[in-house]
Amino acid sequence: MLERNIMERLFRQHYGKMIRLARTLLTDDAEAEDMVQDVFARLMQTDIPPAEEKVEAYLMTAVHHACLNAIRHKTVWQQVRNLYPVGDETVMPSTDQMSERMDAIMSCVDELEEPYRSIFHLRFDEDLTIGEIARRLHLNVNTCYKYLRQSIEHIRQLVTSKTV
Amino acid sequence: MTMENQKDSITRLLEMLDNPQAYSEQELRDIINHDEDTRETYRLMVEAKRNSRRQSDHSIDVDAAWQRFENNHFGKKQPKRAWQKMAASFIGLLLVSGIALAAIHIVRNYQKPTAPQTEQTGTKANPSKITPADTLATDTTSVQPVIYDNIPLEKMLSEIAAHYDAKVTFVNDEVRQLRFHFVWNPRQSIEKVVSDLNRFERLHVTLKDNQLIVE
Repeated sequence: MLERNIMERLFRQHYGKMIRLARTLLTDDAEAEDMVQDVFARLMQTDIPPAEEKVEAYLMTAVHHACLNAIRHKTVWQQVRNLYPVGDETVMPSTDQMSERMDAIMSCVDELEEPYRSIFHLRFDEDLTIGEIARRLHLNVNTCYKYLRQSIEHIRQLVTSKTV
Repeated sequence: MTMENQKDSITRLLEMLDNPQAYSEQELRDIINHDEDTRETYRLMVEAKRNSRRQSDHSIDVDAAWQRFENNHFGKKQPKRAWQKMAASFIGLLLVSGIALAAIHIVRNYQKPTAPQTEQTGTKANPSKITPADTLATDTTSVQPVIYDNIPLEKMLSEIAAHYDAKVTFVNDEVRQLRFHFVWNPRQSIEKVVSDLNRFERLHVTLKDNQLIVE
């Protein structure tokens, strides 16, 4: 079992990156925190820490796996409600590939015009339903559907061309 | 794929996201896996949501997180925690025995919490261990019995099923929101859990192809 001072050093050094990854994957701060705490608890049980240059990779991979595993064990309803990958989609690309695609999506969203950008933001950042978005923006529900659909089509085209 | 099909598939996905409960698990899977294009769109939506969470670095508090870790693993509270764990396992064991099963009863949504019955002395003895309504004990590393107190069936079963890698299907939607007092021991086989669940008069659960079918 690793000693307290070693654990504290590793914790303080790597926690930030790990919690960021867990929050990104799980989109739930409390669950992400539990996941990272568990990974450190498992690390503590080992007798010898991974080599200094490998610790970060080890911890990040452990968080990634723990999060995907947690998602896999949820029902399809929970997966869809939280917009988690469903089925085979739980096999995710590497963290680098993931960030690359996310950066591409983010820049596309930033370039959207209003009210397209607000609708996209309210749907995926604020988790509002289309009905709620329509009420908030004083738009017709069908118009909201149409705008959001057009944004998604547009972003898909751009992201595909940027990342392939 | 034609533009028209893509339009439909995106709309279907958006409708599904607004109200996943209106679909069966199979329907949800079918919508997402309709074709490669739809899968890709769903993937984009997943990433869009993740993207929004990636930005929120504001509340990272390494001191608080370390403190929590320290308390849990190096804290002076260790002996007490160990004692509590033992007590919880013991009470759990009592509860999962036949006596406790007799105490299981249904509480409908609109009912006030029922007065404790004599058979519930086990839970009364250590009320702090009871999971409060609408809060699930989701400690994945734990194999201690989990006490569901006044939890909707839908919520409870999804947690239990996930542990056994099984799926839940509600044939009768009315029972989804029925609230139960139930003690689940994750060490027990899924078959045993199903037979325990079937002791509720309002429930009929069958296990088929790793799927819990609730009627």
